[in-house]
Amino acid sequence: MTTSVWSPQARGNGERTAVAARARALTKAYGSGETRVVALDGVDVDMPRGRFTAIMGPSGSGKSTLMHCLAGLDTASSGQIWVGETEITKLGDKRLTRLRRDSIGFIFQAFNLLPTLNALDNITLPMDIAGRTPDRAWLERVVETVGLAERLKHRPAQLSGGQQQRVAVARALAARPEIIFGDEPTGNLDSRAGSEILGFLRRSVDELGQTIVMVTHDPVAASYADRVLYLADGRIVDEMIAPTADAVLEKLKSFDSRGRTS
Amino acid sequence: MTVLRTSLRNFLAHKGRMALSAVAVLLSVAFVCGTLVFTDTMNSTFDRLFATTFSDVTVRPHQVDNAQKTGAPDTLPASLQTRLAQVPGVADVVPEVSSGQVTVADSHNQDIGSSTGAPTIVSNWDRTQTRTVGITSGHAPQQPDEAVLDADTAAKHHLGIGDRLRIISARGDFTVRVGGIATFKTTNPGATLVYLDTGTAQRELLGSRDAFTDYALTAAPGVSNDQLKARVDAALGSGTYQVRTAAEEKAQGQKDIGSFLDPMKYVLLGFAGIAVLVGVFLIVNTFSMLVAQRTREIGLMRAIGSSRRQINRSVLFEAVLLGVVGSVAGIGAGIGLAVGLIKIMGALGMHLDTANLTIKAATPLVGLTLGVLVTVVSAMLPARRAGAISPMAAMRDAGTPADARAGRVRAAFGVLLTAAGGTALTLAATSATASAGSGLLALGVLLTLVGFVVVGPLLAGLVVRVLGAVTLRMFGPVGRLAERNALRNPRRTGATAAALMIGLALVSGLSVVGNSMVASATHQMDRSVGADFIIQSGNGRPISPAAAQAIHAAGHLAHVTDRADVAATVIAPDGTKDKTEVAAATPSYTDDLQAKTVQGKLIDAYGPGAMSVPAGWAKDHKVALGSRIGVAFTGGATAELTVRAITSDDTVFDRGAMYLNIAEARKYLPADTFPLNNMMFAAAQPGQQAEAAASLKAATADYPQVKVRDQAGYKDMIQQQLDQLLNMIYALLALAIIVAVLGVVNTLALSVVERTREIGLMRAIGMSRRQLRRMVRLESVVIALFGAVLGVGLGLGWGIAAQRLLSLVGLGVLSIPWTTIGVVFLGSAVVGLVAALFPAFRAARMNVLRAIATD
Repeated sequence: MTTSVWSPQARGNGERTAVAARARALTKAYGSGETRVVALDGVDVDMPRGRFTAIMGPSGSGKSTLMHCLAGLDTASSGQIWVGETEITKLGDKRLTRLRRDSIGFIFQAFNLLPTLNALDNITLPMDIAGRTPDRAWLERVVETVGLAERLKHRPAQLSGGQQQRVAVARALAARPEIIFGDEPTGNLDSRAGSEILGFLRRSVDELGQTIVMVTHDPVAASYADRVLYLADGRIVDEMIAPTADAVLEKLKSFDSRGRTS
Repeated sequence: MTVLRTSLRNFLAHKGRMALSAVAVLLSVAFVCGTLVFTDTMNSTFDRLFATTFSDVTVRPHQVDNAQKTGAPDTLPASLQTRLAQVPGVADVVPEVSSGQVTVADSHNQDIGSSTGAPTIVSNWDRTQTRTVGITSGHAPQQPDEAVLDADTAAKHHLGIGDRLRIISARGDFTVRVGGIATFKTTNPGATLVYLDTGTAQRELLGSRDAFTDYALTAAPGVSNDQLKARVDAALGSGTYQVRTAAEEKAQGQKDIGSFLDPMKYVLLGFAGIAVLVGVFLIVNTFSMLVAQRTREIGLMRAIGSSRRQINRSVLFEAVLLGVVGSVAGIGAGIGLAVGLIKIMGALGMHLDTANLTIKAATPLVGLTLGVLVTVVSAMLPARRAGAISPMAAMRDAGTPADARAGRVRAAFGVLLTAAGGTALTLAATSATASAGSGLLALGVLLTLVGFVVVGPLLAGLVVRVLGAVTLRMFGPVGRLAERNALRNPRRTGATAAALMIGLALVSGLSVVGNSMVASATHQMDRSVGADFIIQSGNGRPISPAAAQAIHAAGHLAHVTDRADVAATVIAPDGTKDKTEVAAATPSYTDDLQAKTVQGKLIDAYGPGAMSVPAGWAKDHKVALGSRIGVAFTGGATAELTVRAITSDDTVFDRGAMYLNIAEARKYLPADTFPLNNMMFAAAQPGQQAEAAASLKAATADYPQVKVRDQAGYKDMIQQQLDQLLNMIYALLALAIIVAVLGVVNTLALSVVERTREIGLMRAIGMSRRQLRRMVRLESVVIALFGAVLGVGLGLGWGIAAQRLLSLVGLGVLSIPWTTIGVVFLGSAVVGLVAALFPAFRAARMNVLRAIATD
């Protein structure tokens, strides 16, 4: 089946492009010859600004690879990727690093924080590295949004898993990046802590106008997104707007059975 | 078996880390084995040389104990030859002439003697010489003015047949022409050898055709050397002459070589000890880190049923592997080191043949035992810690947190040790006698060293924070991260820095003492030396009469002082006898060296029947002004002298000297046994310093062995001698520092591996490779500087305590070499940078994706 192309969905923010990140004919292959494995097979995708996109798919479908490529962590074998106005497929390591520092935020599944720094230092770390002074008002708002005001002086070891993840969210938001990528950000949390994090991510999209792309295999997590992309065998195979947990689960089941019968 | 296989696999999996520890083992073992191989080679070479040098039995005049240094060899009458020839069992008697009290100069008046302390010997050419040397060009001395020179000296000074040599002895000097070159059949120990025909040697060196210095006897077939010796003794009267067999001569020679080699051997072994000590830190640290890294894996092994002992043993087995690998390489490196030392000796004039390299069976055995033992003992503690890991660790995420109580116990213990050491140092500094103080000093050094090692991890927090505030803050967030990283595992930081600390503490302690020595000597020269010129014989021999005469005849001088050390037995009023030397000088010596007195005036000691004694001796023997002292001059009469002055012991020059007038001393000794001047002093006429210097230079031009120095020149000489010594010590300590650097590399490399995910995270959120590299480098620098702070602090404490103690023996001025200390700090920062090169490179090259995916 052909990969789908979505038209940009403007959200009344006319000055900047309506797409925070996009990829064209993105292919990623590992190895060569007989051992060649194609992780991404000519993917075209747009990540609209100010939206919350979830990427789903079975293990090995290429969803993490897609995220890593879009975030400039991994290099594409062929095709093009833009983050904002910048085509990152042509950038060297130095400029990629700067791009990650200035335009991209990350939330990983685990080990999101530096154990030697307290919560506040962890939040401002990307700006410290860049040598920028954080915007006080914005920082306070972010900290308040994720509910960490009381715990800023705590070390990661003194925080619960959920709190640590909230610090990671705050760090991603604090630098006002163009786009935030989450790699199973709730994968290590119980459902209550997980829903708290997802709630913050949702609010940061609604209230702060943040763009978020999240890889997950949890239908409940996906239901917080504006839109769900389904990946299989390195291609985007389907899309769902305004998903609910049940609808996502149904869809996954249908892929699953289709996968088995074919 | 599985345990062993796991150990082996672990060992191979951590090749890089093990290699660094193996280098530490290698260096220690190499030093020990190198020293052994070198000294064994030296000994076996000399054994071969001795085998050719000595005749079956040698007859010499008795060596007089405490003899006068007249510069003339002791002799035997020529008539003895016939008597010896008649002793039954004597096959051959060769009369010999030989003198070591000579200086040989080339036609440019350059001393061609050895610069390393090996002797210059002029002897007669006879058939016994051909056992040791062979004439390789020219011929044996045939004319009175012909000489044979040894090939090594000829090559070193570019001399050949036809060149002129001037031989300067106490009897005067004479010129010969090189007629032949002789080459050693075994090895040249570095001596300068000149052979003359027998008549010339007798005339010029002994002043008589009727004398020889010794007789070389050959035993007839069937007569043993011991039998021959007994017969000679019987024929001449036992004890009249010194009669020695070849074996006895050889034993004496070996003793002499030993006294030359032993200090060198102990210094080298001392440094091996330091290398071992520093290596222990490196090995303990490596195994601790490996165990910490493997906590989960070990927990799993425990969970599935491995016993504590099995875990313990598996770690120790890795240590044995490391010890064996390091030692085997170390033995090889040690042999290389010995070859290097032999080459250096060659450059200094002692030609040892590397083909004669002597490797005793014990050498590799000692090396292997040492290497394995050190490694296993070092790994003991980490192994025990590994055994103590609970099976629960398999389920936990990170390593077990440090035991807070253990930290407190450690702190208390370390502080206690340091305090005890500090007390010992303070007591040493204030101790009344040098002998009691030196014991305390050694104890204090040891205790403070161990104490610092123990409290190091606790000091790390404080010192690193202060260092961070001073240096790292200017590097912004990267600096802050580096500081935090260095503080993360204080025990590891402490142990890594401790390795560096040892070397640096020794360097700074020694340089404080060395600098204080120079400063004290300079200070005292400024205070008490009034002479404008200090005249010594360069090769440590007395100043020959001709040279002394020339100096007296030099112009523009206000006075010239003769000073001779006269051997005597001093008899105190309480009856104790001291075999010693008294300093006999012209009264003007009181101007040249204004020795402080505690009682009386120094000049009074130069009156007739007068002398001075030092304060310490006076106190020990209850001697006061006016006491009568017996002075039995060796080879002369006994004088009864009155103490007219008591000199202070607080001096670096002439400490403990007993002064009297040289004219007084001459009354009690025959002129031909009176010793030569061993030092002379001169003062210029007012305002004629330059003219006097030129005049002295001209007067001594013919005597290359005589060195005239003004005060500045003398200070320079003291400085140079000390610098030479210190440089050698620094060079050897560099080894300890190299091992310590390996420790820093090791710690950083492991930290980088441990923090893979952290590094991945930082790269993901935008830290550039450069920033990452800088972060690792700064961490390294801060650890190195921490080591430097501890080391310099400790070294200063040691140095100051030592100086205070040595102030009892004239080292009154404390001088702290700030430049050296500055260099140590800068050097440590550089060491940190160098150590971080590879770990930083590796951290920066880490693949971000793989780093964040690492489990």
